[in-house]
Amino acid sequence: MKSEVLYPGAFPMVRVELAAGENIKAESGAMVACSPTIDIESKMEGGFLGALSRKFLTGEKFFFQTLRASRGPGEALLAPTVPGEIVILELDGVNDYMVQKDGFLAGADGIVIENKMQGLSRGLLGGEGFFILNISGKGMLVLNSFGAIHKIELKPNQEYIVDNSHLVAWSSTTSYNIEKATSGWVASFTSGEGFVCRFRGPGLVYIQSRNPGSFGAWIRQFIPVSE
Amino acid sequence: MASPPNALCFGDEFPAAGAPCLVQVEEHGLTVTFTSDTADSEPESVPFSTLTVSAGGLDHDQLVVKWVGPKGERTLYLKNPDTIRAFRQAAPDHLSHSFAQAAEQVRQVRHRGRLVWSLVVGVVLSTVLGLWFGSDLLVEIAVSRIPVEWEQKLGESAYRDFLSHQEVMKEGPAVAALGEMTQRMTAQIPDNPYKFEVTVVKSDVINAFALPGGYVVVFTGLMKKAESGEEVAGVLSHELNHVLQRHGLERIVKNLGLMAVAAIVFGNQQGLVGMMKQLGVELFTLKFGREQETEADLKGLQLLQRARIDPSGMITFFERLSEKDQGRMEWLSTHPMSAARAERLKAELAALPKKLPEPFMFDWKQVQAGL
Repeated sequence: MKSEVLYPGAFPMVRVELAAGENIKAESGAMVACSPTIDIESKMEGGFLGALSRKFLTGEKFFFQTLRASRGPGEALLAPTVPGEIVILELDGVNDYMVQKDGFLAGADGIVIENKMQGLSRGLLGGEGFFILNISGKGMLVLNSFGAIHKIELKPNQEYIVDNSHLVAWSSTTSYNIEKATSGWVASFTSGEGFVCRFRGPGLVYIQSRNPGSFGAWIRQFIPVSE
Repeated sequence: MASPPNALCFGDEFPAAGAPCLVQVEEHGLTVTFTSDTADSEPESVPFSTLTVSAGGLDHDQLVVKWVGPKGERTLYLKNPDTIRAFRQAAPDHLSHSFAQAAEQVRQVRHRGRLVWSLVVGVVLSTVLGLWFGSDLLVEIAVSRIPVEWEQKLGESAYRDFLSHQEVMKEGPAVAALGEMTQRMTAQIPDNPYKFEVTVVKSDVINAFALPGGYVVVFTGLMKKAESGEEVAGVLSHELNHVLQRHGLERIVKNLGLMAVAAIVFGNQQGLVGMMKQLGVELFTLKFGREQETEADLKGLQLLQRARIDPSGMITFFERLSEKDQGRMEWLSTHPMSAARAERLKAELAALPKKLPEPFMFDWKQVQAGL
């Protein structure tokens, strides 16, 4: 399986080359184009209950699509819904990632996607909701973001502060606490940051350069109100 | 490399994501074999004596092993339970204390997580249950804090608005008759904070209603249907008691409360604004609850008794209205008549001490003729 990101930037696509018999799973609706040798199947990853909980708990799609090169080698083009960058990670069986609910685009057959419940303060204030995806296993993992993706590398015990809702994915060896952006409560909110996540290494943290929630609030003012 | 990696190793020369490696537990210590090409592939032997262990990772569910080797500080993140178990069994005494501490830390984190969640579930459940069973009490408390002046303003604006579209009967025997009934009844209400205003509206609708604050409307249709003044007085007494018991306000608070909660839960702020606008409309479509109707019935009956107005008029009128569907009986649509309701009133009437009723000053036939 080979993959590459086409048109890197705001409107990228990912091209995945599949050998005969290989398959990948992707977010439902991610397929843009593919070779005629590739069959598209829809699958409830993790069984019916798993799919149901994923749909209701994380807001991810109920069905994943599986693209299978069942009639010979071929390629598939995949793209996310929102404008933003795509990053391809390799999972080797030991490095797990926590992925915020909209971050998953596609993954090799060998990766395992599970819902994970976060703690109370992280769930309530982390900006990612109570449920996130825990992605482990072996193989290629394709993530997408809103805006550009920036990788933060943390050495053991190195700290970094990320505004909540800018998170895309982070390795499970990192840990984070939710805290106020400034020392005072009022200044915390008037500074526009509210709560931030203090990450501690070692590991990787992928962040997105735009905040989907803020963008939504910004664009709302231009939508005509019909009454 | 036959075995897959089971740990991630962090150090200065490794990538930030960590170098995957295979950790094997031996008699004297750990053997770390790096599986990626970036690190040297020579297995590294680390004696137990140089190691420190603790719990770490996102959920404190990984074992963090640290040591200072010839190439600087190394940090190992172990997740595989089998390896951790084997390590713990083989580890010498000086590590067992750290192991116990790490295990305690994991237990504490899990325990705290469970505690917090059960607390949250408990609070949510008790709030829901409390609202479910205690909502009437909450509404009562909320209503009791609303001053009568507010209630009057609320009712008055809706009342004036309603009357502006209606043909109001300003004088005549009907107005005088209703005035007499109202006067006789209100004289029997101790500490009455309301100044009742009863208006006769020309309409064939068989209905009467009361707005919060003491504004009562009686339609001529209802007066035409009644066979005596006592029957109209029965309806009036019922409506006055809706006002006195603040049923309308209770209803508004309850509806607003539910809608406000719904608006907050579903994140619909526009709904809150719309809700306030709807308040005026709400007043006319308010349907009282069954308990409120019963209360207004019984209190109405008692009020009639105190005012020495024959209470049986109330019962006969209710019964007659329910017997057959005559014209536009809107009063029935908001005041569903049931045999049980009439029976309850009869039983209540029988229990009340007998008082000799005093007839009205007016002649009902003349009043009806003037409609």
